Amino acid sequence: MIRVEGLRKRFGSVQAVDNVGFEAADGAITGILGPNGAGKTTTLRMLYGVMKPDAGQIHVDEVDGVATPQQAQERLGVLPDGFGLYPRLTAREHIRYFGELQGISGERLRDRTEELLQMLDMRAIADRRTGGFSHGERTKVAIARALVHGPRNVLLDEPTNGLDVMSTRAVRKIVRRLRESGHCVVFSSHVMQEVSALCDAIVVIARGRVVARGTPEELRRQTGHDNLEDAFVALAGVELMTEDQWSE
Amino acid sequence: MVRVKPLHQMLVVMRKELKDSLRDRRALFSIAFSIIVGPVLIGFMMNRIADRQRESEIVEIPVAGQQHAPAFVDWLRQQAGVSVIAGPPRPEQAVRDRLHDVVVVITDDYAEKFSSSRPATVRIVADTSRNAARPTLERVRRLMQRYSAEIGALRLISRGVSPAGVTPLKLEEIEISTAQQRAAQVLSFIPMFIILAAFVGGMSIATDSTAGERERGSLESLLVNPAPRMAIVAGKCIAAALIAMTAVVLTTTLSANIPRFLPLQDMGIRFRIGRDEFLGVLAAMLPMCLFSASLQAAVSTLARSFKEAQSYMGVLVLLPMLPGMISAVSTIGQEPWMYLVPVLGQHVLVMGVLGGRPEEWWAFVTAGLIAMLSAALLVRTMTTLFKIERIVFGR
Repeated sequence: MIRVEGLRKRFGSVQAVDNVGFEAADGAITGILGPNGAGKTTTLRMLYGVMKPDAGQIHVDEVDGVATPQQAQERLGVLPDGFGLYPRLTAREHIRYFGELQGISGERLRDRTEELLQMLDMRAIADRRTGGFSHGERTKVAIARALVHGPRNVLLDEPTNGLDVMSTRAVRKIVRRLRESGHCVVFSSHVMQEVSALCDAIVVIARGRVVARGTPEELRRQTGHDNLEDAFVALAGVELMTEDQWSE
Repeated sequence: MVRVKPLHQMLVVMRKELKDSLRDRRALFSIAFSIIVGPVLIGFMMNRIADRQRESEIVEIPVAGQQHAPAFVDWLRQQAGVSVIAGPPRPEQAVRDRLHDVVVVITDDYAEKFSSSRPATVRIVADTSRNAARPTLERVRRLMQRYSAEIGALRLISRGVSPAGVTPLKLEEIEISTAQQRAAQVLSFIPMFIILAAFVGGMSIATDSTAGERERGSLESLLVNPAPRMAIVAGKCIAAALIAMTAVVLTTTLSANIPRFLPLQDMGIRFRIGRDEFLGVLAAMLPMCLFSASLQAAVSTLARSFKEAQSYMGVLVLLPMLPGMISAVSTIGQEPWMYLVPVLGQHVLVMGVLGGRPEEWWAFVTAGLIAMLSAALLVRTMTTLFKIERIVFGR
């Protein structure tokens, strides 16, 4: 379970995140939806403890993520935006490296690695160096290493960005499976269809603010649009259409 | 949840960085190249000096017109390191064609003028624009002058005059630059190459694991792990230092084996890196590797991009060459304050060990402690840098 209240972050003169708050429940997929530059990545970065919020509260399960970010990190599995791999290490070595950093070792780490390779269907590429991997394969490696310590809460920042259809489906399958096993999944995207197909709850962010939240059904009702895309534009686009990237 | 020990995490990071960089074949190749090039260069230069010394030991002087001055030729033959050979029929052409460096020509009227105590002409044919011929020319000229002075003195004595009266100045030249010393000067590059090996060895891993990791986008993922930044930074620095240490050990080993391939004994040079010298060099250098690697990693962290980090490394590599270059033009003394300056202190220590005059044990301890302390400070600075968002996410 993740709870965020009154989160703020400013970069110079830009208020990147302005009073963002939401709650992501266990056993559910919470979608953070917003155009590029809306503040999704900054919000998530504060959540997983690599950026310090100017104000606000973060709770991961019952751990205070602002005061004790490292303890929060133990409960989080994170796929950052634009993640990178070590091209000279194999997929298996990536998983082991992060597992060891999380304090897992020996047989437990071996078993867990096998389990992840199985679950993500990457047995065939397990012992190849990631330098030549496709984007889909790389995403799988990054997800596997993020899940190695079996975190209850999983944060995925635009995991399907740039993936082909098959890989996108694979990622969705993984996300659904995480929900079924009771994980709290937070999933950010700027793609409407993605979020509507996957998420149980949606938080719409624009210009650093939460402009709407609820189930896909509630959002449609709230805006009076049947189509979620129209709903999204109605929520986020009012200001954006005039000047921002959304119109480009 | 398991409480993970930061020390364990540091070792995990260190192991991963070592494994990663040992697979970087291009970086390993460039490290190997720069380790080998120093000792090989020294070997090459020493061989040149040895060759030249062998050449100049016995000088062959072609003398034309020997029949006009048998006494003079006999005198020449008696001089040490001189062998007189027959002069070529056309001396000037022979020198121009570089058949000889110098040709001595005794003129036809030599005997007549000599016996009547008038200046007899002896020509020295040489090309002064040729550097290689100059030492021989100098030697021949000095021989001639000496003969001239000896005969002059004898003539004065035979007339009852003391030769001292016509020698107002007594010149004494003391030749400093013997072949041994030239060779010793070349050998003095060895400390520089050993220190250079530390910098070159740690360079690629230090940049790759900091600026490179950020540029590849894997730094953010790494920092999501519940490891103190200090553990991550220290792991990276120690990994780079270990590679630097390996480079130092290899260069020292190579340098220790130089005498096997060079005729140093023939030149009367005592150069030996035995077990004691080897251990002395390592005692001086290994702590410095921690400093050099941390410095490189800290500078790379500050760089805006991997490219920028690499160009900073190029500048940093000049640092170990400074003491070496200064000592090439003027001698660096061995002041106690030098042990307080990382790199400079090590240079002095290694010079002492290889020169057969090792410093006191406290000098090693002081220089080592200072180097490690500086390394610790750099690690702390880097830890702070790793907490600055502008640096973690690039600017």
